[in-house]
Amino acid sequence: MRVLVIEDDEGIAAGLRVHLRQHGCVVDAVGSVAEAWRALGAEPFDLILLDLGLPDGDGAEILQRIRRAPEGRLPHPATPVLIMTARDQVASRIASLDMGADDYLVKPFDPDELAARMRALRRRAAGRADAVLRRGELTVDPAARTVQRNGQPVELSTREFDVLLALMEASPRVLSRAQLEERLYDWQSGLDSNAIEVHVHRLRRKLGDAVIRTVRGVGYFAPDGTSR
Amino acid sequence: MRHPSLLRHLLTWVLGSLVVVWVGLVGIGFQIGHHEADELTDGHLASVAALLLNLRGSEALPRGQQVASQLLSRPELKSHDYQQSLSVVIWDGQGRVIGQLGEAPVPPFSDSEGFADLVLGSDNAGWRTFARWDRNEPARRLMVMLKREERDELASDIAWQVALPGLWLLPTIALLLGLAIRRGLRPLYELSGDVHALDVEQQRPLGIRHPQVEFRAIVDAINLLMQRSRSALARERQLADEIAHELRTPLASIALHAKALQKPLADADRQLSLERLAHDAMRSGHVLAQVLALARASRTEMTETAQPVDLAEIACRVVSESAPQALANDHVLAYRGPATCVRRGHAVLLELALRNLVENAVSHTPGGTSIEVQLDDAGRWLQVCDDGQARMTMHDGAPNPQTRLSLGLGLGHRVVEKVAAIHGGALQKIETGDDGTTTYRIELGLEPADAQRGNPAPSATTSRPELPFAAMNADSATR
Repeated sequence: MRVLVIEDDEGIAAGLRVHLRQHGCVVDAVGSVAEAWRALGAEPFDLILLDLGLPDGDGAEILQRIRRAPEGRLPHPATPVLIMTARDQVASRIASLDMGADDYLVKPFDPDELAARMRALRRRAAGRADAVLRRGELTVDPAARTVQRNGQPVELSTREFDVLLALMEASPRVLSRAQLEERLYDWQSGLDSNAIEVHVHRLRRKLGDAVIRTVRGVGYFAPDGTSR
Repeated sequence: MRHPSLLRHLLTWVLGSLVVVWVGLVGIGFQIGHHEADELTDGHLASVAALLLNLRGSEALPRGQQVASQLLSRPELKSHDYQQSLSVVIWDGQGRVIGQLGEAPVPPFSDSEGFADLVLGSDNAGWRTFARWDRNEPARRLMVMLKREERDELASDIAWQVALPGLWLLPTIALLLGLAIRRGLRPLYELSGDVHALDVEQQRPLGIRHPQVEFRAIVDAINLLMQRSRSALARERQLADEIAHELRTPLASIALHAKALQKPLADADRQLSLERLAHDAMRSGHVLAQVLALARASRTEMTETAQPVDLAEIACRVVSESAPQALANDHVLAYRGPATCVRRGHAVLLELALRNLVENAVSHTPGGTSIEVQLDDAGRWLQVCDDGQARMTMHDGAPNPQTRLSLGLGLGHRVVEKVAAIHGGALQKIETGDDGTTTYRIELGLEPADAQRGNPAPSATTSRPELPFAAMNADSATR
């Protein structure tokens, strides 16, 4: 999951970066309204963690601009936004949710609760109710970051799991290599030109060739169980 | 508990006054009734006497014969409620009774004329009499008499008739007055209802429905109070938000890094998280100390009395204790002011306020900034000047967030404002001047202590760096 953290406190931003990476998220962090808007206009994000008190403005301004953004361009107006703030008044929560926020957490929060809420938001954005993804003989649990094939656990590396999860969440849409890279790597990550191909190759070796299909010249997709 | 009612109060007074007036009217009516009944009766007596004398009616009366019983036993002669039973006695010139009519006993003969009150008979009954002589031959004396009891009954009847309308009029007037007062008090009820329904959260002022001039003062006063309450509430909320932000931010960071450390981490990330944990724990403690200081400032205002305080000593101590942090941030810190300046105040609070301003200056300005603590020779103010704004403009610098331990400006300044207010002053930000300096001044309204006042010393305890505003004297700091 590609996450943009908009937070001016370096401690929280660094903590979120470390913690969310442990949960398999790809995290980029910015500390102001201006930087946030530049980042949102440059790349797509699956989820935004937004602090309201920013040095050059209110985080609510970003939220409003995202929701008013035109379709088909960046930022995507339906991008899930979770607000993290020290403002704990009910009125503030109501105002933020009414403004278009998808969820609201008051600092300090339990990091695992934050991760769970992020997964729920991601699920909701993908139109799923079940926390576990099932495709044929495969069962993927994003929370536990585990994969089972015919009920047997399969060991995957962090990146392999991320590629599989991205394809299964997007299924049956085809994801290009660039789209996969956007979801899997933040701005600081070094990227080999054939990194995605390597991960796909390893996934096929561990889970079977039919798990991921290639559309030549376009990208990859995970077919649902019935089409195999 | 039953609250007193203004309507009941007004009704009691109005109806009480009405009853007093009515009782007075009845009393006066009774007196007038009596008086008029007397006059009327006397008139009747005189009229009958004149009539009988003119008619020489005594000739028709049986001489010396009692006819009272005969007259009284003839009820057909009674034809009006106010028809009175008159008695007549006629004497000849020698005092012999030549005629008598009615129930009155024969009074003693005398030569007198006119009205008189006599007590006659065995029952000592009172009689009103009128005597008149007829000097024509044969001379006669005629007396017409009426029992006083009968006359009093007439007077009472007249007085009662005067007072009677009041008996039904009084409740009617009371009812009408009650309704009128209730209706008249409706604007007051509406005002009372609106005041009761006032909500400090709503911006709508009182008074749109209350244009009455009598309410203007109270409506204005209530609106002013509400405005103050709203402002106070907004300030409290702002302070609560600032405290929440300052407290919760490092706690959230601690929670995140602690959770991250529970799982496998790269060495660099582990080191970073450990450093952040230590830093944010210190930061939390610092915020807590400031919040406690704010609470203490409020308590000090009420309980503790001011003591002699050497402002110069406080300023030098803060500068010397903040110097290591300033040096670590590549700042230059100095003090400029008298060697001693003793005033009455709260040393702990003043030191806390000054330390806040210095730490803010260190934390919110880029490296290389010159910071100077200045004390007025007369102890009227303490101020912290820095040229950080100019440096940020010139070098596009920025404060180092990693080393920031101070409060956010909002909460920090609230602490300083509170301390300044306790010392009869205020916190004042002097806008950045042309040379890019920023000054935060604590105005002090302190009285000189009994202790000796220090002599002004332009350069005192700490090193004097070459600041861009070093030549600036105390008064010229206000730009």
